[in-house]
Amino acid sequence: MRKGMLVDLTRCIGCRACQVACKQWNDLPAEETQNWGSYQNPAALSADTWTLVEFTEVDEGDGLQWVFAKRQCMHCLHPACASACPVGAFHQTEQGAVVYDPARCIGCRYCMVVCPFGVPKLEWEEPLPFVRKCRFCVDRLEAGLEPACAKACPTDAIVFGNRDDLIAEAEERIRNQPGRYVDHVYGKDELGGTSWLYLSAVPFDKLGFPTLGPEPVTTLSEVVATYGTPSIAVTVAAVLGGLYYWFSRREKNMHAEQDAEQEEREAS
Amino acid sequence: MSKTRKLQAAIVVILGIVTLVGGIAAIARFVQGLGPTTNLSDAYPWGLWIVYDVFFIPFSAGAFMISAVTHIYDRHEYYPIARPVIVAGFLGYVFVVVVLLMDLARWHRFYNILIPWYWNLHSFMFEVSMCITVYTVILVLEVAPAILERLNWQKPLRLIRFATVVIAGAGIVLSSLHQSSLGSLFLLMPYKLHPLWWTPLLPLFFFAAAAFSGLSMAIFVAVVSFKAFGRDLKLGLLSDLAKIVAIMLGIYLAIKIGDLLTAGEMGLLFTEGWLSVLFLAEIVIGAVVPFVLFLTRKGRETSSGLVWGSACVLVGLALNRTNVALLALNAPPGATYFPHWIEIAVSIAAVAAGVLLFFLATRFLPVLPEPAVARDEATT
Repeated sequence: MRKGMLVDLTRCIGCRACQVACKQWNDLPAEETQNWGSYQNPAALSADTWTLVEFTEVDEGDGLQWVFAKRQCMHCLHPACASACPVGAFHQTEQGAVVYDPARCIGCRYCMVVCPFGVPKLEWEEPLPFVRKCRFCVDRLEAGLEPACAKACPTDAIVFGNRDDLIAEAEERIRNQPGRYVDHVYGKDELGGTSWLYLSAVPFDKLGFPTLGPEPVTTLSEVVATYGTPSIAVTVAAVLGGLYYWFSRREKNMHAEQDAEQEEREAS
Repeated sequence: MSKTRKLQAAIVVILGIVTLVGGIAAIARFVQGLGPTTNLSDAYPWGLWIVYDVFFIPFSAGAFMISAVTHIYDRHEYYPIARPVIVAGFLGYVFVVVVLLMDLARWHRFYNILIPWYWNLHSFMFEVSMCITVYTVILVLEVAPAILERLNWQKPLRLIRFATVVIAGAGIVLSSLHQSSLGSLFLLMPYKLHPLWWTPLLPLFFFAAAAFSGLSMAIFVAVVSFKAFGRDLKLGLLSDLAKIVAIMLGIYLAIKIGDLLTAGEMGLLFTEGWLSVLFLAEIVIGAVVPFVLFLTRKGRETSSGLVWGSACVLVGLALNRTNVALLALNAPPGATYFPHWIEIAVSIAAVAAGVLLFFLATRFLPVLPEPAVARDEATT
C-alpha cells in the first residue's frame, strides 16, 4: 500500500519540531548558521538538513501573511532521480519511499541535476562524499511507525497515512472550508503524483513550489531509452552494413569488368 | 637547431608546464574532494568539467566520421588524413575520461558502472558511460596500428587489420548511440533546461551536432597538422567534407527553426535577455556563418576558408554545450557559479596534455604520411 504524508500549511505554527525530530532520528549533525534576516534556519536543505521549514511572507492583498512550509523530498511516484541514476542507487520501496543505496553511488550528481524539486544534496566537505536526502524514515515505516516529523508535529499539520486516504482527507478539508484553502492539493497530480501532499491558503508558486504538469518527467526519457536506443543501434548497424556491402560489391564488379576488358584485349 | 625546431621545443616545454600545473591541481582535488577544490555546490552540482566533457565528446567525433568515410564509404584517398584525425579523437576521449573521473565525487567506485546487477537500463547516464568505456577501447584498437607499425609487431597488427572494418563499424554504432544519448541526458529536465534548448529532439540535435562538428574537427586537425609539419595536403578532399558539413548545417538549422516554430517558441528568441543572446550567438556563429562560408567555393577551397569555417562550427559547439549543460539550466534564485582556479587549471591542462601527446605522436609515430622530400632523400 502506498503511504503518504499530508502537510496542511494552514495548521503549521513554524515551531520546527519536525526539523529537530528529523535530525535526531537520522543522527544528523547541527549546522553552523548565520542570521540572514529570517527565522528560516538553516537557509536551505543540505546533506545534513533533510527537512526545513521555510518562512515566506506573502501579500495576497488582505495584508501580509507569514506562511510556514515544511520542505523535504517529495517521494515522487515516478522519481526522476531513480530513473536517472546509472547504477541504480535510488529505488522506490513498495510503500513509496525513494531511498538511496550508498554502496552503489559513483557521485555523478545526475540525480541532483534532474530532480525537479532540487532535493538530493551532496556532502561537499567530504573527500569521498555521499548524496543525502529525506528517506521517508523508511526504517520506522518498516517497523509500523510513522515518520519522525509527523510524530513530532504538535498541531497535526503533518499527517501520515495511506496516500489515497490522505487525498480524500485533503479534498474533504477543501470542501468543508473553501475559504481557508486554495483549491489545489499539491502533489496529487504533479509529475504523475508525489507521496507528499500539501494544502495551502496561498497559491503554491508564491511559496517557491515549482509549477509542474501532470506528466511524469521520466516518461519521455524512459520511452526513448527503451525503444530509441535499440532502434538507433539496429538502424545504424543495418545502414552501415548495407552501404559497406553495396560499395564493396560495386568495387568487385568494377574489378571484374576491368578484368573482363583486359581478357578481351588479350584475346583479340 | 633550426628556428622551427626551437619553436617546436618551446611549445613542448610550455605545454609540459601547463600539464604539470594541472596535474598538481588534480592531486589536490583527489586528496581534498570536490567541495574545497571546486566552486560546485548544491545549487550548481555540475560545472566546468561537465561542459568540458559534453564539448570534447562531439569534438572527438571526427574519429568516427572519418572512419565511416574511409571504411564504409570506401574512400581510400582519405587514408592520409584518417590517422591524424583518429589519433586526435582518441586523445580527446582519453581526456574526456580523465576529466569525467575527476568530476565523479566517488571516483574510487567508478567500476560500479561495470557491475551488471547495478545497471539501470533506463538511465542515459548509464548509456553514456557504457558507450564511452567501450568506444575508448575501440579507439585504442584503431590507434594501435600506428604504434604497432612503429614497434614492428606484425602478429597483432595483422589481427587488427583483419578486423578493421568490424572495429570501425562497431565504433560508428557506439558513437551514434552515445552522441545522441548525451543529448538524451537532458530529456529528464523539461523544468530545468530553458525551453529554447529543451525539446524532445535533443538526441537528434546532439547527434547532428556531433556529425558536423566531428567533420569540422577533422578538417581543422588535417589542415593545421599538415601545415605545421609541412606536408602536402590535397585540399580537394577537405572541400568535399566541407560541402557535407554545409549540407548538415542546413538541415540542422531547418529542423531547429521548425522545432521552435511548432513549439510556438519563436518569441523566446527576443524575450529571454542574455539567454536569447546566447542562443542566437550559438546559432549564428556555429551554424549560419559556416553554412554560408562553406556554400561558397572560396570558403571551401582555400585553407584559410576551411580553417575559419571549421573553427566557427567548433566555437558554436562550445557555446551550445556550455549553454545546455550550465548556463540554460535554472539554478535556485541568488545562486551563482564561476569555476574555481583548480577546475580551470585541470581543464586547460587536459587540453594541453592532449595537444602535447598529439604533437609527440605525429613526431615519433607513423601518423602523418611521409613527406615527399624525405622519401626522395632516403632513396638517393
